[in-house]
Amino acid sequence: MLNNLTRRTLMKGIAAAGLTSVLGGRAAMAADEPLGITLVIPSPVGDVGWGHALAAGLDPVKAAYGDKVKVTVIENIPEGPDADRIMNKTVSDGNNFLIAGSFGYQNGALQIARRNPAVTVLHASGFQVAPNFSPFAAKYFQGTYLLGMAAAALSKTGKLGSVSAFAIPELITSINAFTLGAQAVNPDVEVSVVWVNSWFDPAKEQEAAKALMAQKCDVIFSNAQDTPSVISACEEAGVYAFNLNSSMKKYAPKTYLGCVATDWSPFFKASVDAHFAGTFKGANAFLGVSDTVVEVVDWNADIPADVMTRIKAIEAKIADGSFSPFTGPITKADGSEGVATGTTLPDGEIVAMDWHVKGVTTPLPK
Amino acid sequence: MSTLSGAFLPTLVRREHASLAATLLAPPIALAAATVVNLGLYVLMGRDPVAVVYAMLLEPFLSWASFSEVLLKTGPLLLIAQGLAIGFRAKVFNIGAEGQFILGAIFASAIPVWFPQATGQWIWPAMLLLGTLGGALWASLTAFWRVRLNANEILVSLMLSLVAAQFLNYLLLGPWKDPDGFNFPQSVMFQYDAMVPILISGTRVNVSLLLTIALSIAAWIFMQRSFIGYKLQVGGLAPRAASYAGFNEGWAIWLSLLIGGCAAGLAGAAEVAGPLGQLQRSISTGYGYAAIIVAYLGGLHPIGIVVSALCMAVLYIGGDNAMVSASLPIAAVRVFQGSLLLAYLVAVAFVRYRLEWRRAACRSQP
Repeated sequence: MLNNLTRRTLMKGIAAAGLTSVLGGRAAMAADEPLGITLVIPSPVGDVGWGHALAAGLDPVKAAYGDKVKVTVIENIPEGPDADRIMNKTVSDGNNFLIAGSFGYQNGALQIARRNPAVTVLHASGFQVAPNFSPFAAKYFQGTYLLGMAAAALSKTGKLGSVSAFAIPELITSINAFTLGAQAVNPDVEVSVVWVNSWFDPAKEQEAAKALMAQKCDVIFSNAQDTPSVISACEEAGVYAFNLNSSMKKYAPKTYLGCVATDWSPFFKASVDAHFAGTFKGANAFLGVSDTVVEVVDWNADIPADVMTRIKAIEAKIADGSFSPFTGPITKADGSEGVATGTTLPDGEIVAMDWHVKGVTTPLPK
Repeated sequence: MSTLSGAFLPTLVRREHASLAATLLAPPIALAAATVVNLGLYVLMGRDPVAVVYAMLLEPFLSWASFSEVLLKTGPLLLIAQGLAIGFRAKVFNIGAEGQFILGAIFASAIPVWFPQATGQWIWPAMLLLGTLGGALWASLTAFWRVRLNANEILVSLMLSLVAAQFLNYLLLGPWKDPDGFNFPQSVMFQYDAMVPILISGTRVNVSLLLTIALSIAAWIFMQRSFIGYKLQVGGLAPRAASYAGFNEGWAIWLSLLIGGCAAGLAGAAEVAGPLGQLQRSISTGYGYAAIIVAYLGGLHPIGIVVSALCMAVLYIGGDNAMVSASLPIAAVRVFQGSLLLAYLVAVAFVRYRLEWRRAACRSQP
């Protein structure tokens, strides 16, 4: 692993070296100029979804700092050589605060951080850390556990489904926690998953949702879709559904189960504060309910009151840190032991999770 | 439609001679017209039009660093367009350069994926050769279907591009996935010797640019000076005359498609062994389709294509610049690029045709 990473950085370094060294000279800025904050995202900003949530997270920063910051959002940038060039360009233009909004920007963004110590870089969903480079991710699993409880209470067939983007640890943990939450209410519940292998493919996502409904799944988890594709297909079919990041209730007024909403503004605000104060220190930011980054909103009124009371109790325990969805005993889908009785999985192992819990019937793509 | 519309609408009449002055003036006039229209749009949007034009059309030339990025982007466009143009002049419409590009990238990646520890300066030339072969093999499928089964080459090559993209997905999600890549669909990063050497230190421009220029000269000699090239052109201009002269149509189709496939495959190999350094899903941002536009904008002439490839690259880089420094949304960038192409096509039409306003109620229609 270590070898591999050094090789990665070495080669990206060769590619990016010259560009920054030529352009880097102009990066120094007068102190009274506003701080340029640039957010780069792979999809359109849109009205809902991942990119929208990131962009909205910068609004309170703008409100707090006014003329002292200048925010630029650069949308629709594919992960690859174009992204490296654009991130280099924005930094050489004098923007000293970069938010790289997708995992695939990691190598290019890390190089920028290494070559420009005055620049602060926040990187979504990664695992690399540097003094001026923080990876950030949301503990979606804390919210999906709660929605799993609601889903099991409402499901008549005992079959739940999930339309999911990529089989990476972040999404796997969300599905696992969803399953564990559902099992806490109905131990016999089963979860099927369709991997669409895309962050943005509304047609394919709708197909996947319909396939799950055809298998009698009557609550569907739209895992990391940037459009209401799954949510609206479920509303049409009268099937409950929920999603991540930002509320899509207006697309499914009747069957919208709730939203695991992310509010990045506390994290962005704190990072910008630290940048201004000169105290920014790169660290792995894995943020959840207690950081007020993750919150379940727009609960459906159909959820039985007794279940809702249980959900609220668990939510409070997650917030004060006395409960984690990944506390043993947990059995893996292949029957082996996932988490031993009485132990709680540490964050480091949650972010690298590559197995499904028992109850998820679809095998992980290998 | 003829009688009614003919009475009220002007008709296009072919000019006897297209004047040289008009031919040369058409591109700058198209550029000026598109710029003026879009400036109006930016004013309506509340953006500073001067900043946009500066970022889009001037900045790419103003520093060596950004011009080198233009050259980097020109490479694949130029290479693919030269190969396609030869086929287009023989009226063999290979629309599937995108798929041939992907296969080239896959074939080239086979070496670093299977032999990640291999060292030696033989690796990158072998990758380029293998990539060329991969592109040619993919194009030969289309040639076989066209010549043996008389299937339309436009449809077959286009559809095969979709197949190529799925094949790439399969490899990246399955056998070629980076074992340490957290399940992200991408290969390992390539070793140093699997990267094409940098041509100009301090930039990302590599030796493959020289190869592209050499092949452009070769394309000029082939089309303007060789008998084989002449036979291909006759086959395109006057197929029946060509067959009377004993030129074999099947042979022309095979040759056209293989040349196009080789060029696209080489471009794909140079992209993964160049700025990417890794096989990933977004290896091509539509180079195979953009090259079709480049070929036609260049008048299917090897020298014209060099100019049009450079112009397209400037538009791409300039569009990204405008998003970064003039905070133009991506949609406005696309509108500018699209309206420029449209203006050019209209201008070219007026070089060859003129408008006639006459009441020609009884004119016979062709």
